[in-house]
Amino acid sequence: MSEKVYGLMAEFDSPAAILHAAEKVRDAGYRRWDAFTPFPIHGMDQVMKLGNSLVGWVALAGGAFMFLNVVGLIWFANAFDYPLIVGGKPMFSVPMTFVPAYIMLIMGGALGALIGMLGLNQLPRLHHPLLDKKRFELVSRDKFILLIGAQDEKFCATETKSFLESLGGTHVEIVEDVE
Amino acid sequence: MADSLNIEELKRLAPPAELRRAPVVEGKPSLGALTDKLSEFAEGKTPRWWWILFIPAAFAATVIFPTCLFYQVFTGVGVWGNNHPVMWGLDIVNFIWWVGVAHAGTLISALLFLTKQHWRTTIGRMAEAMTVFSVMMAGLYPAIHVGRAWFDWFMFPIPNSNGNWPQFKSPLMWDVFAVNTYLTVSTLFWFMGMIPDFAVFRDRATTRVRKTIFTALAMGWTGSARQWHNYEKAYVVLCGLCTLLVFTVSSIVGLDFCASQIAGWHATIFPLYFVIGAVFCGFGMMLVILVPLRKWCSLEKVITMSHMDKVAKLALVAGLIIDYIYLQEFFIAWYSGDTYERWVFGHRLFGHTYLYLGWTLIGINVCVTQLLWFKKIRSSLAALFIIGVLINIGMWSERFVIVVGSLYQEFLPANWGKYMPTIWDVGLYIGTLGAFFMLYLLFVKFLPMIAIAEVKGVMPEADPHHPLGGAQKGDHQ
Amino acid sequence: MSSHDEKNHQPPLDLSGWRALPVVLIVIGGFLTLLGALLSWKHNDLREFGFSWLMAFMFYYSIALGALFLVIVHHLTDAGWSVGIRRFCEHLASLLFPWLAILFLPVLILAKKIYSWLTLDPATNNLVAAKLPVFTCSGFIITSAIIFAIWWLLSSQLSRWSLNQDKTGSAECTRKLRFYSGFGIVAFALTLSASGVLWMKSLQYQWFSAMHGVYFFSSCAWVGLATVYVIAAILMRQGTLAAVLQKNYFYFIGVLMLGFTLLTAYTEFAQYFVVWNANVPEETFWYLIRENGNWWWLSLILIFGKCFVPFFILLPEKLKMNFKVIIPLCLWIWAMHAADLAFNIFPALHNDGYHLKWIWLPLGILMLMGGFLAKIFICKFNSNPPYPQRDPRLLEAMGVSQNVVRDLTLAKDGGVE
Repeated sequence: MSEKVYGLMAEFDSPAAILHAAEKVRDAGYRRWDAFTPFPIHGMDQVMKLGNSLVGWVALAGGAFMFLNVVGLIWFANAFDYPLIVGGKPMFSVPMTFVPAYIMLIMGGALGALIGMLGLNQLPRLHHPLLDKKRFELVSRDKFILLIGAQDEKFCATETKSFLESLGGTHVEIVEDVE
Repeated sequence: MADSLNIEELKRLAPPAELRRAPVVEGKPSLGALTDKLSEFAEGKTPRWWWILFIPAAFAATVIFPTCLFYQVFTGVGVWGNNHPVMWGLDIVNFIWWVGVAHAGTLISALLFLTKQHWRTTIGRMAEAMTVFSVMMAGLYPAIHVGRAWFDWFMFPIPNSNGNWPQFKSPLMWDVFAVNTYLTVSTLFWFMGMIPDFAVFRDRATTRVRKTIFTALAMGWTGSARQWHNYEKAYVVLCGLCTLLVFTVSSIVGLDFCASQIAGWHATIFPLYFVIGAVFCGFGMMLVILVPLRKWCSLEKVITMSHMDKVAKLALVAGLIIDYIYLQEFFIAWYSGDTYERWVFGHRLFGHTYLYLGWTLIGINVCVTQLLWFKKIRSSLAALFIIGVLINIGMWSERFVIVVGSLYQEFLPANWGKYMPTIWDVGLYIGTLGAFFMLYLLFVKFLPMIAIAEVKGVMPEADPHHPLGGAQKGDHQ
Repeated sequence: MSSHDEKNHQPPLDLSGWRALPVVLIVIGGFLTLLGALLSWKHNDLREFGFSWLMAFMFYYSIALGALFLVIVHHLTDAGWSVGIRRFCEHLASLLFPWLAILFLPVLILAKKIYSWLTLDPATNNLVAAKLPVFTCSGFIITSAIIFAIWWLLSSQLSRWSLNQDKTGSAECTRKLRFYSGFGIVAFALTLSASGVLWMKSLQYQWFSAMHGVYFFSSCAWVGLATVYVIAAILMRQGTLAAVLQKNYFYFIGVLMLGFTLLTAYTEFAQYFVVWNANVPEETFWYLIRENGNWWWLSLILIFGKCFVPFFILLPEKLKMNFKVIIPLCLWIWAMHAADLAFNIFPALHNDGYHLKWIWLPLGILMLMGGFLAKIFICKFNSNPPYPQRDPRLLEAMGVSQNVVRDLTLAKDGGVE
């Protein structure tokens, strides 16, 4: 088991503090960094330039997939493989097909949204280096933590540490990655 | 624009005190104190009232419920009161009733999120839980109503050796998909909303068991900006889909009826009728659940009187729409000049067999609902609780009037008969009620009953442009 | 914004390059209308003219109702963002009386040529007899008068107390407005449905559909929102409402448009499906007529143009705020709503398909009424402050967060919570 440095974390007290700190970290040219907060912070997306999340597309793909499949299924079941006259209606028609296909579109979209969210967030995961830190438990409470990853080109244990402290971060600590 | 105004100008434009908006959470707690407050109940000692409610609910759920269920499944639907001409009895009435209870939960949570109503955060989770558990109860009824529950798999499109497929030309078939989708999606929605709160519980856990369980449930959630970014998008998408579901599921239940030609069922407004009826009934249930829980779990500052007021107003809106639809139904019976329609609607109120239920419906859904116009009523918890119970009774009788009232005397006198539920009908209903409340109590005790992360997110402290959120004074944008 | 008070007397709505448009519309539309009246009188006893006039009237009537709905809902939900767009919605709503009532007069005069049940003898016709006493000549006049009286009451009171608040800023006005909105929404629902049935559905008196009222309401709100979007965009551009409109409010209007696109599609699908599935002759004939000739093509255009096109354009998050896309969409929504009204109204006259040689007539009347009502709207808008000056939610509309506004109120009263 070897330990290597995962990054440096610094703690902030308020949403505004971490938002301003994030702006400065970005302006300083760091790329691999992240902010950990108890709730989404308004404006952080723009600071981190996250753009539009791909989850919407995954959901759309899931929904479209389900929709087309159910249309195909209904055609196959009721018009091709097992045609049965019911109520004098055509074997395959739009009003009959649309509703079940549409309800399964919702199913596909919802599954797509959840799976997309988990996939893009790399969840579920059994462990994360930050979860070892005692102070990190406060993130789900009322603290705001900024992490600069060790893989960042500009990362330097001492310089980054003093940089984070200059931003007003407290409890600047090294996060170890256990392998 | 407002940033160029000075503080005096801002004060001049600020609303007078009586029109000030109520805060989402009263008492200005800090973020930490709020977290403590919201996780208090799940972490503390189980209070006595919980046991007092739980034991009878669990008895109904584990003794009465399986007894009635198995007796019916082993014997046949004949143990119920269903018989020619009323083949849809209490099983269908209760099915619609439970689906209805579910709908308000989704609507509160999803639609109010889309319309950016911050106050929804404190009651959204409880509403979602109500949805999930009542859809479970609802889904049970059609499954056993078919009579031979072991053939339920016929309803799913599974290639089989008989070479037959379900036929999709009937809304009854769509129900299978609708209810299953509703159960799946509302559970997903509920679960996804809880992930950040599971992380809260994980980080607060003091015992090893709690730590293990909530670590597993939180799935490694860290609350990073990237995670929140994807999470929020997924949440919006799910909210949109759930709102569509509210309209779709009950519409399909409505189509079960109006796709036929039975007088009293065949009306083009039926899909919407069932949606609104469902939502109305669910708001009633929401009042029944919120009034005691906010007191017993000492959440008065989180689920404030302003929240109760708003839920009551939503119930009023749904009630008014349902009244509009009653009017529309009676109007169309008159306008169409259709003899059978006129006869059926006349008999709902002035017939002989079920007129009491007809008048219960009018008395509650039309008359009692109007009490919610008054601020005085809306600010009395006792009144809200009673009205909540009454709404549920009113909507139950509405479903009875629709289902049985149209079937027991249809076009030909040869098809006339009476319907009376048996003890097994009633027992099953009591059993589902017990199961619902048992599950709900377990949820309240063990899971985050209030969306902790969401509530914190709408506090002044969470706004980076608010002084409490760390912005310098006057840093308003 | 440099000074707040200066804004109060600022450039009202002028259409800059398009200033002459209303007059041009009135002139061209007036000519076509006159010509149409003469030709229709000669060829088909003014029936074509009556139906065309009814359709054009219903079009503007539904826009005004949509605006009235937005005003009422604004007060009922105690909304913050919609303060800025409320004033011109009030003006749109107050077109209902007397202006739209005046435009209704030709329908009243030509009623016997438009509504076949007015000329049928109830003694020999069951369906007309069933609808007595409302569906008679005097019943028609009295009901129409009641409908306009209710619109007059609602639109004038909602406008009056709102203007009153500009001067006093008192909470009393807000209470009054909420009071009128409270019973107003009930009156709104009933009156709107009644007018839909009486003026539009009863064209084919044999047909009935309980969904019709909801369908008509949802179409009104839908086309009203499109109108509001366009006007708000113009006023935003001119700077008149720049103080109280944020870019993301257009997102909200877009979301509402998306919602009503779906609701309208939902009501129409439900109506169609129930009729189609039950297959009862009393109802199906209505849709069967609409499969004849070019009505079939119009129905297809409506399915795609009224539902799918707006839905997919309004679905992406960012697109809702893009004027270059949404303003053309709003114009498209107008066209679709007009086409939908035509689909509801004209088959009672031409059940073999629309006679395209007459198409200039409804267009001409639409132009005439549009120009006329635009003139009045601009006049109303210019003689009043462009947005509610002292509304309690004005700060929220200006983009100040609710939490900050709450603190400001506390600071003003010097009290503590």
